[in-house]
Amino acid sequence: MTAKAVTNFVATFGVDIILNPDLIVEKNGRFYLVNVALRPLMVRPDFFYAGLFLGKTKEGKFFPSFHLLSILAKEHAQRIVVDRKAAWLFICGRPLFASSVVRVFGSAKRNTNTLVLNEFGECLGFGRIVGDLSAKTSRDEVAVRNVSDVGDFLRRER
Amino acid sequence: MSGREFFQDRYRQLGWELKEVNLRQAIRINNTNARGKNLVERLNSLGVVLQKIPFLQSGYWVLDSKVSAGATAEYLLGLYSIQEAAAQIPVSLFSDLRGKRVLDCAAAPGGKTVQLADAMQNSGAIVALDVDKRRIAAVGNHLERCSITNTVVYLLDARQVPSLNLRFDRILVDAPCSGNFAGDRDWFKNRTLKDIQCNAALQKDILTKASECLSNHGELVYSTCSLEPEENELNMDWAIKNLNLQIQETHSSYGQNGLTEVFGKKLDSSVAKCLRMWPNETQGFFAAKLKRSQPHDR
Repeated sequence: MTAKAVTNFVATFGVDIILNPDLIVEKNGRFYLVNVALRPLMVRPDFFYAGLFLGKTKEGKFFPSFHLLSILAKEHAQRIVVDRKAAWLFICGRPLFASSVVRVFGSAKRNTNTLVLNEFGECLGFGRIVGDLSAKTSRDEVAVRNVSDVGDFLRRER
Repeated sequence: MSGREFFQDRYRQLGWELKEVNLRQAIRINNTNARGKNLVERLNSLGVVLQKIPFLQSGYWVLDSKVSAGATAEYLLGLYSIQEAAAQIPVSLFSDLRGKRVLDCAAAPGGKTVQLADAMQNSGAIVALDVDKRRIAAVGNHLERCSITNTVVYLLDARQVPSLNLRFDRILVDAPCSGNFAGDRDWFKNRTLKDIQCNAALQKDILTKASECLSNHGELVYSTCSLEPEENELNMDWAIKNLNLQIQETHSSYGQNGLTEVFGKKLDSSVAKCLRMWPNETQGFFAAKLKRSQPHDR
């Protein structure tokens, strides 16, 4: 469960990325992608952090890092752009209403994952599409349930 | 030997009159992440009023803010870090860092590690060490938030760095130190001369082991946020006499020369090349840049 955990997760966003399994290292259920310059410096097995943090597994489930999500955003994964107010609420852990969605890239089917981007195209996290994102239906229903957002960095410090 | 009057008298003997300072919050833009994003304008639109710090390349004072500078989306996306102005100086003393192999000896909480990685544009490689299991988690969070990709972190006492059997082009010894009163209102109550002497001994040990890992043409930057000469000029005087190191010019436009006479003891004249920052616009800090005097045998 190394590169496969990552690529399986990535596929849920409609993206296919190739990771060299030789450059993925695991420590305590956390996966890192290291580059060739860093590899020779990993002289001890008991490192705490290394290279690009990809995410972690917990009880068999993969939880992506925000860096991995931002890479997916550049790879044209399924994503939505939200307005400024919704972007802030999303960072605070709140769900998204259809009315706050400015643009949709991808199929936007219910029960699929979508990246959530701010007006600058920066990835704030990801969510699960639970409503209709189109303008034709009610725009005040919860459209995207928050799964993970960068506000987590603040919550970790509490 | 402790207390406000004791330290005040020491500072007076060193040529500085103790005065209270009001520290301003400072940020450092992570250029690798923020390139092309008009970050200053974006923060301004959120009500964060910034002023460029003249002696830093990417540092800004936060003059006023309607929001917490540590809780904006821009912060959470790693576009900038909150880092005291003087604390941004040590990393800036290194010459070109890109593609280099770098050691950060006492990395937690990771602000300078991120600054190193940013200056390296995520090229080369950094080995970051810290001995504190609790604080090292902060290094991981900091690296993740700022999308750093060139760093490996070990929970390791810097005095054991030779056991890694690696050589480094650049070494940052931002040494554990006694701190100073500017950032700690109880500092005078809590600190004694004995603490300072203990820290100075630890700093010598770290310097000794770190310098063993410095490549022949490498650079070592030593810094503390202590005002005490035992942890600063006296350690540098000792290092150049015992560790095959020589002090380099810093070319910094901020701060004063290192002291060359401390409590009646004359130090090597090259100690003047060090950078002493008494609390004023910034908190107190000390930094020195060193190179090998003679190449390694091996």
